[in-house]
Amino acid sequence: MANNNSGTISPSANTASISNRINWRRLAEPSALIATLFALIIIFSILNPRFASVENLRNLMDQAALPLIIGVGATLVILLGSIDLSIEGIMGSAGLAFVLLSANSRSESDFGLLALLAALLTGIIFGLLNGLIVTKVKVPSFVVTLGMWFVGLGFATVLYGTETIPVLTNPEVSSWSSTLTFGAPNSFWAAVFVVILGVITLILTKTGRSIMAIGNNEVIARNSGIRVDRIKITVFALAGLLSAVAGIIAAIKLGSGSPSVGLGSLFITIPAVVIGGTALAGGKGGVLRTALGVLLLTVLNNGLILAGVSPSFQSGLAGAILIAAIVFAAWSQRDRLRIAK
Amino acid sequence: MKTSTPTEARAVIDNTTPPKKIQFRKLWQTFGPATIFLAVFLMISAFNPNFLTSGGMGIVATLSAPILMVALGQAIVLNVGSIDLSNASMSLLGAILLALALPNFGVTSPIIILLVTTAFGIFNGFFVAYTKVPSFALTLGTLGIFQSGALVFSNATAVYVSDNKDFLGHLHTTKLAGAPTTFFIGLAMAVILWFVLRYTKVGRGMTAIGLNETGAVYSGLKNRGLKVVAFGISGFMSGLGSLVIIAQSGSASPNGLGSDLLLPGIAAAIVGGTSILGGATNPINVVFGALTVSMIPIANAVLGVNAQAQSLVYGLAIISIAALMLNGSRSGIVK
Repeated sequence: MANNNSGTISPSANTASISNRINWRRLAEPSALIATLFALIIIFSILNPRFASVENLRNLMDQAALPLIIGVGATLVILLGSIDLSIEGIMGSAGLAFVLLSANSRSESDFGLLALLAALLTGIIFGLLNGLIVTKVKVPSFVVTLGMWFVGLGFATVLYGTETIPVLTNPEVSSWSSTLTFGAPNSFWAAVFVVILGVITLILTKTGRSIMAIGNNEVIARNSGIRVDRIKITVFALAGLLSAVAGIIAAIKLGSGSPSVGLGSLFITIPAVVIGGTALAGGKGGVLRTALGVLLLTVLNNGLILAGVSPSFQSGLAGAILIAAIVFAAWSQRDRLRIAK
Repeated sequence: MKTSTPTEARAVIDNTTPPKKIQFRKLWQTFGPATIFLAVFLMISAFNPNFLTSGGMGIVATLSAPILMVALGQAIVLNVGSIDLSNASMSLLGAILLALALPNFGVTSPIIILLVTTAFGIFNGFFVAYTKVPSFALTLGTLGIFQSGALVFSNATAVYVSDNKDFLGHLHTTKLAGAPTTFFIGLAMAVILWFVLRYTKVGRGMTAIGLNETGAVYSGLKNRGLKVVAFGISGFMSGLGSLVIIAQSGSASPNGLGSDLLLPGIAAAIVGGTSILGGATNPINVVFGALTVSMIPIANAVLGVNAQAQSLVYGLAIISIAALMLNGSRSGIVK
């Protein structure tokens, strides 16, 4: 499996040189990403001076916020070796639940914070279902979450019904995401908060270490007493929760409820996770790497549009980058006997 | 002797599982799809007798034609243990290219489109087989590329066939027993694919890969080439889907007919008895799967469920049938 640490097994080798080598290897990939990011920033600034403006910087922060939040959940799931394709469906359901329970043009009733809780709970329930079906019924996660994607979209469509578009009427709510705090939009601060929590969870908690262990080798993890099923269910529920957070912020940004509020999110998030260097096979990668991947893709999309490239090319570009990243990552292991489904 | 070990190991495992479950799965795979089809059909007819008298089945057959095409391709890919998430977007891109090509190339343009989409499929298969990347991730990537292609070539609007659209239109308007020719082309393809899977070396090889890829490689099967063939077939079927879209609507747009074929296609393949893990499919049963999936909107309407909740039903159907077929069949690691 994808395991860089095999060098540490040999006891006779000089410890200092090993740690040196591993450190270099660990740094090489993110450094290349950071270098690419800076190169892109310089190129786009030359192509269009507006790219480097403060206004566009805020734009970039706002655009990166949602993929950053979803990316944390997606990274945890992918580190397990699973996948969560239900992001857009959960975003639609949670976002719509939030709008319909907040003050909106359809109804007078405003449940305030309860609306927020209900929407988050929607996400957690969808995530829990994903996790339970994967672990207890043993259906592969890409099938479960593919189904749940559309269950979420369908549920949102049912919530939406046939009435008029529900528009958020409380200006305090609808302007929350773009309001600046310390010079950056609130949505970005929310994303930073989630990323920090994600890093702490992954590096410093037992759950986080268990996630890495399961992704590396599930059998060994199980045999060494890790409650694999419980961890998996927790991670899927967390991913659902984060998709719900993203759905709520997306609905606030839009100012109204729509089942398709998450459209296109999957297409930024999965490539971002993979470009960041998190292996689809699991066990290798991290939240900060995903954050780098998200920044790279956001800068690329934003810069290309400012450079006059049609937005029609966006999903194609993300797709091409995704293919390049997974092929690059799998290149050294393309043995004929290796099974890739 | 040594080379046959994996297959033997599998046979031993199969013998130890309770025979009742195997029987249930076998029974389900043979008769399940037709039974579900009949059940939904009878339910609709019971709630709304007009469905029988006013040519409801003709409408269902018409609706099912594009779904059937992508579902058959999907079934072949699922049968080798992979999945093709890009096939519906391939159909749509093909339809847009076909709409653009028809005025210039006339009768040869459908052939060009079929070649193009088959090449797309082979491209998918080549990457999956030779670089060993997971098919869902690779085809998610190509899905994005095809979507972009559809937007770029159509300028994000509907493309109408300005000339030479009649000969394809006939495929839709010429009807037999209420069902359009497009449906019968799908039916014919199902029979051909059934024959290929049952009686040819290539077909048996693909099923063997789906059942146990390591075993298949040890038995000397060309697993990579066969995967390319499977994805190639999926591409070809997507191309037929493009022809159906143009025949039915005379136009193609990035969010018109065919833009949401992916899920119905997978649902039809799975309802048609195709195993999500590979190694089991019957194209003829996929026809029942496609018909059942096409009746879901009608069943929703009859039951008074919001017709827009279709995707909810499709999603639930995929999860529950996959769960039903997998239940107890595997105890190992599930990613």
